[in-house]
Amino acid sequence: MAKPLVPEQDAVRPAPPLARVPGPEITHEDIDRARDRKRVSLARVKKGSFANLRLLWLLIGPGILVMLGENDGPSMLSYAATGARYGIGFFIPFIILTFAMALVVQEMTVRLGAVTHRGHAELIFDRFGPFWGRFSMIDLMIGNFLTLITEFIAIRAGLGFFGVPPWIAVLGTLAVLCVALTTHRYWTWERITLAAAMFNLIFVPVALLAHPRWDLIGHAVVSWKPFPGGPKQDALLILLADIGATVTPWMLFFQQSATADKGLTTRDIKFGRIDTALGALLASTAAVATVVATAPLFTHHMSAANFEAAQFAQALQPFIGHAGAALFALGIFEAGMVACITISISSAYAFGEVARRPHSLNLPMSQGKAFYSVLLLEAAAASGLVLIPGLPLVFVVLVVNVIAVLAMPPALIFLYMLVNDREIMGDQASSRWANALAAIVVLVLVGAGILYGISVVSPNLFALIGGK
Amino acid sequence: MAERLEPNPNRASAENSELVMQSLEVDQLSAARAQHYPRRQLKRSEAFLFWGLRIYLLFMVGVVVYQVWTTTR
Repeated sequence: MAKPLVPEQDAVRPAPPLARVPGPEITHEDIDRARDRKRVSLARVKKGSFANLRLLWLLIGPGILVMLGENDGPSMLSYAATGARYGIGFFIPFIILTFAMALVVQEMTVRLGAVTHRGHAELIFDRFGPFWGRFSMIDLMIGNFLTLITEFIAIRAGLGFFGVPPWIAVLGTLAVLCVALTTHRYWTWERITLAAAMFNLIFVPVALLAHPRWDLIGHAVVSWKPFPGGPKQDALLILLADIGATVTPWMLFFQQSATADKGLTTRDIKFGRIDTALGALLASTAAVATVVATAPLFTHHMSAANFEAAQFAQALQPFIGHAGAALFALGIFEAGMVACITISISSAYAFGEVARRPHSLNLPMSQGKAFYSVLLLEAAAASGLVLIPGLPLVFVVLVVNVIAVLAMPPALIFLYMLVNDREIMGDQASSRWANALAAIVVLVLVGAGILYGISVVSPNLFALIGGK
Repeated sequence: MAERLEPNPNRASAENSELVMQSLEVDQLSAARAQHYPRRQLKRSEAFLFWGLRIYLLFMVGVVVYQVWTTTR
């Protein structure tokens, strides 16, 4: 495998070495990562089902986190709106398909991270030059910042159902973010966040409380029917929103950087794929459960066009009871909180990779000041804005969508080119069939993103494309 | 098995160094990040694609600025 590493003048400043022993300089970050890898090595030499499960337990993380992280506040509201507007039908298998597309895209980031041990922004900077490297970082950071605002709005709305004042909701989330980081250890951070992310499945009991018709769900999955009625333009818009709720730029940056930070190697790619598939399965289950949970609003012809998080919970109360409504609100809070953690960390990784600063969750605070500062300042600034009375929420969501459209085509094209770059990927470059599949997915996602952008900035033109 | 996996990471020692050298690939080390992949030589079709991306970005930045301007007016 060819790995043409060359020194550069603006190379990353490594953290101060700890061990003055012959050989390469060893840092705190290296030692923490080595401890994790040692556990993997020990699990790998053992045989049997339990040993394999132990190995899987050690190697899962980035894939599940990225998929459940993308089931964020706005995404769950998008799925809730889908169920309330169209009930059980076409959108159930369609959402499963979008997660299959996300799986194809995210698998490429696993291979890139495991082979190169570098983050996505760093590889773009190195291989395509400083312009595209800096553009990717700045665009990602702006998009992430605005997305974080929408996450804090979801957090505020979710906890608002229980009468929690906004400032407590926001400060509480920041406290959780800080607690997860105080360990200065990737492994501990990952396990804490995984535990929090699992609460995304809270939407499953909510769906069960809605007493769904399983025969209708089974029929919808197999037949993709009934097809959405009403104006085609509205259906196309919600279809594009559901695609946008499944694949976004931060996911590419996060999973590749987290794969490198976790220390996965080419031997672990199989487990990285299982991790990502498991994440897609869990996230699609939660997404479909949300559609099923809000389907009673469709059945009872209740308009949910302008519902926000707490309003969905209140509207569902007559059908799923107070406990169900409370679980729904709690789910929206959890979705926003986990996304806050993962999205802010994707910004910090990208900043460190492009600014050539140490970037790892294994760094002690003293060695990772820039990394942790970006992470915490971005989250703190977004949370502070949410507390401002009269914040133009619609405007923020609009700009988030446009920024995502701006970032998605370059990010996907770079990903496709990097994963086919034999100079860095060697024999792990995509096969012809994998490429054909990835090319179709990339084209669909880029097209959907551009269409969504047109719908946001020029509704009249979108009406012409979508039809009445 | 009571194998010791938890050496104090704050302690500079040969033990830590040995653990790192045994467990990590060379380009996983922090020190290895001082080296970077060289810039890729773009084919003509790739260079064309990148110019297309630049034009797309210019257009979209214009759209964002216009949208911000019309919404805040």
